[in-house]
Amino acid sequence: MKIEDFLEKNEVREITIFKQLVLNNGKLTYFDMLDYLSVSKASLETDLDSIAVKIAECDLQVHIHYDGQIIALEMSDTVSLQHIYRHYLDQSIKVEIIKFLFKHQKFTITQLSQKLVISESSLYRKIKELNTHLKEFDIKIRNGQLNGEELQIRYFYFQFYYYIEDKTYLLSKYAGKQMTQAVQTLEKFLDAEISPENRQKLIIWLIISKTRITIKDQQVDNLRMQMKPYLKDPLYHKIQVMVFRYFSRYSIEVDEGEAMIHFAYLLAFSILSENDFHEYRMIRDRHAPIASVDTQVAETIIIHFNFRRLPYMLERDMYYHLTHIHTRLYFFQGDVEIYEYQEILSNEKQIVGSHLVFFADELLKVSTEKFNRESSESNSLFRTEVPKYISLLILITSKTAKVLQVGIDLKIDDLYKETFSQLLMRKMRPLNGIQTEAYEPNKTYDLILTNESPENQRIYKEARVYILAKILSDYDMENIQQIILELNT
Amino acid sequence: MKVVIIGASFAGVAAALETRKRHPNARIVLLEKQATLAYIPNGLHLYWKKEIEDLNKARFITEEQLVKNHIDFHLGANVEKINTTQKTVNYNYQEKEEVITYDKLIIAAGSKQLSEKINGSAQESVLKYKRYDEAQAALAKVKESNHVTIIGGGQVGVEAADLLTRQQKKVTIIESMDYVMFKYLDKDMIQPIQQAISDSGIDLKLGETVSTIESKTNHKVTVNYGEESVTSDAVIMSVNVRPHLPFLDAHINLHIDQTIAVDRYLRTSVKDVFAVGDCIQLSGPDKDNIYIPLINNAVRTGIVAATNLNKPEIAFKGSLRTIGTKIFGHYIASTGMTESDSVFSNKTVKSSRQKIRLTSLPSTETAIVKWVYDAKTHVVLGAQLISTANILEKVNTLALAIQTKQTIEDLQQTDYFFHPSYTQMIATTNLVSWMGEGLFDDEN
Ligand SMILES: Cc1cc2nc3c(=O)[nH]c(=O)nc-3n(C[C@H](O)[C@H](O)[C@H](O)COP(=O)(O)OP(=O)(O)OC[C@H]3O[C@@H](n4cnc5c(N)ncnc54)[C@H](O)[C@@H]3O)c2cc1C
Repeated sequence: MKIEDFLEKNEVREITIFKQLVLNNGKLTYFDMLDYLSVSKASLETDLDSIAVKIAECDLQVHIHYDGQIIALEMSDTVSLQHIYRHYLDQSIKVEIIKFLFKHQKFTITQLSQKLVISESSLYRKIKELNTHLKEFDIKIRNGQLNGEELQIRYFYFQFYYYIEDKTYLLSKYAGKQMTQAVQTLEKFLDAEISPENRQKLIIWLIISKTRITIKDQQVDNLRMQMKPYLKDPLYHKIQVMVFRYFSRYSIEVDEGEAMIHFAYLLAFSILSENDFHEYRMIRDRHAPIASVDTQVAETIIIHFNFRRLPYMLERDMYYHLTHIHTRLYFFQGDVEIYEYQEILSNEKQIVGSHLVFFADELLKVSTEKFNRESSESNSLFRTEVPKYISLLILITSKTAKVLQVGIDLKIDDLYKETFSQLLMRKMRPLNGIQTEAYEPNKTYDLILTNESPENQRIYKEARVYILAKILSDYDMENIQQIILELNT
Repeated sequence: MKVVIIGASFAGVAAALETRKRHPNARIVLLEKQATLAYIPNGLHLYWKKEIEDLNKARFITEEQLVKNHIDFHLGANVEKINTTQKTVNYNYQEKEEVITYDKLIIAAGSKQLSEKINGSAQESVLKYKRYDEAQAALAKVKESNHVTIIGGGQVGVEAADLLTRQQKKVTIIESMDYVMFKYLDKDMIQPIQQAISDSGIDLKLGETVSTIESKTNHKVTVNYGEESVTSDAVIMSVNVRPHLPFLDAHINLHIDQTIAVDRYLRTSVKDVFAVGDCIQLSGPDKDNIYIPLINNAVRTGIVAATNLNKPEIAFKGSLRTIGTKIFGHYIASTGMTESDSVFSNKTVKSSRQKIRLTSLPSTETAIVKWVYDAKTHVVLGAQLISTANILEKVNTLALAIQTKQTIEDLQQTDYFFHPSYTQMIATTNLVSWMGEGLFDDEN
């Protein structure tokens, strides 16, 4: 599911116009824009007019000018694309439907169409559209209610309030003393310390859980199956005791299902600190599915990079992140795709290195196969886990990399030599763990970049030599990255 | 003034009597769904204990007493709807729809032993016995059963288990938590009880939650929990009680847990409507609102609501969840905050556990006492007692100490009489002085 799924087609186009302008330094020709959106001139005109109206309605410091040739964006420093998204989402009927469902749990078509001031038939249509997007979460709006596994429903609401709806609204409306107290209680029960950012995540989760707690006939059958290997898990046991004791103080009946839901959430959403997690990892059952996939993936990583062994803290960190990734893959379905990090990581192969992206895909294959989960295009959870692997791999490679000395020894005319050496250094700057400089004969280097084969191999001593195919080419950059990685491991 | 009260059990009757005391001329009408009046929920246990020879004797008030107080009551009157705008109550009485108007309404409809999570728990073969007719049915069914499964190891469940083993029945208890009676006792106090339970041959399943109950053709019932199941002749539901209030209108605000929201004067969100007893939350040992369904609270809230009918006069003081009982040869009492429950509180607590000899004789019985107190101020927050001797009365003194915010040091200075023929040592001295050296060491 994408944020755009909550918007209408024309609204998505409008947002895209903003996005394109931001990506192109605020300016784009009319024709480029037409080309990019592949729409007719008339429809671009309509979109631009509609943007103008919407901007006028809100008090954002944003303007789009167009003179028939150039479209230009003027945005004050305090406004980001995020704000523009927010403004569009605030008007979204689909967002309203989910908010209403969250608040009231149930609606009738008449009641909701009146509330949203739309016809019943268009409400039906919106619900149908929403359902196509909810499908990947394996939940569905039916008979005015959200149907599906309880864990999935709460997970969806969580993603919705964390990434799509304005969470500050939810927090200001529901997060009172009772919630802060609940977090404290949880800390005491788990003997854990929860960081401020995680506290907020947890409060959102608890608010959602609170509104769901008295729903009758919650479905937990699937979760019960998934939990079978965890019934003796020490963390689960603590959570179970906490859940039963907490609800025994109210006239609310809960069963293990409630504890299982919280177990899955706490592990998948990295609520525990690394330290607290480490304590848990030491006592958890290594043969349970998540732990065993953690080990398998960790070993695959270690073998891949030829590490003899990782520094102690880095290994701990790796397991910490792997468990989160794998807990998500094990328990959950569907995800909300957030453009920023995910797209950046998967698209900027330049910086990341395509082999890492490729390797991350492989790791995903390892884990999903182990969990017997079919990776399907429509389930964005698989897509969103890849950048997490990538991110972990970058973390590991950059922390284990020693600083490699790279010498640039270009054999071209003097003036160009200096300029191109500088440009090459500039291009290499994003690469981690290297120090690049113009070659100096008396120094030792790990890697030499040159454009001609040296007459005498020995002049570069032990250094590995790479002959640039074409100075500043992406092709070379890819190869250089691969070499750096090899030298590092 | 016309006061209508829904429910004529502890809370409703207490409210009626107090209203009469304060308003000699008021018209007071009690509407009660049950066909009989004032059955004591624990009646079946009294019968099994042979303290009454007839279940029907388990009554806390008679019809005559109500008549004498000029209180109208309708038994078999089931309230189906209320309209707080028009101030009317609709009820079904002798198969007729009746409407009654009110000036003041007190909702005392209490709670039921019901489970929405346990599939099959509503069927008749699953015994509950809070009401008289239910208790009669349970009595008959248990009589002909050899093996009884009890769901829930709270006070009611453990008491029942004790009484049934004494009748040579085979008993299985299934409890979700990892020890029994967890609301009242800390885990470090329960050992003697759990030992006695297993010594008496009871099959105690801890940390297990029942999912479904199925009736079998041969009159047997199978209870499924986790991956396992147990089949027995009868099943007793002794899980938490919960309010069941389908007749409310939308103006009355509820808490998430479906209890009626009331203020300190027990007023609901609607003017002239009060709620009491098992259908509300109370301020608990730590002054936070929690659900404590106990008779003592029902009676006290009934009285407080009646006092505040015309104007807010007294606020409800809250509950320390004081209990006392005897199970498996041990007297058990608890009041105030347990150490386990202190995680819900902002306070940092300390605790101390002592074994006390009740007399100086060599063969004396002992009592185990646990104190929970504020680490900083030493104000006593809770106490738990276990002994083979009857020390139950002591818990009331301790409750008073907690209510009046005494510190551990204050308690050492209390004045108790001693006479060898009338007092045990434990009664003579304030317990605290027995805490001796260990007083300020947190045992855990
Ligand atoms: C087996 C058992 C043993 C217990 N033992 C103890 C004990 O030893 N000590 C202790 O402190 N507590 C005990 N309790 C708890 C105790 O029963 C309750 O706290 C107490 O009964 C609450 O009183 P109440 O008046 O608020 O509600 P209830 O006793 O639940 O009474 C509510 C009344 O309202 C009536 N009613 C409900 N709906 C309607 C309607 N729509 N129309 C008309 N009438 C209606 C009901 O029929 C009922 O008579 C026990 C509970 C159980 C289940």
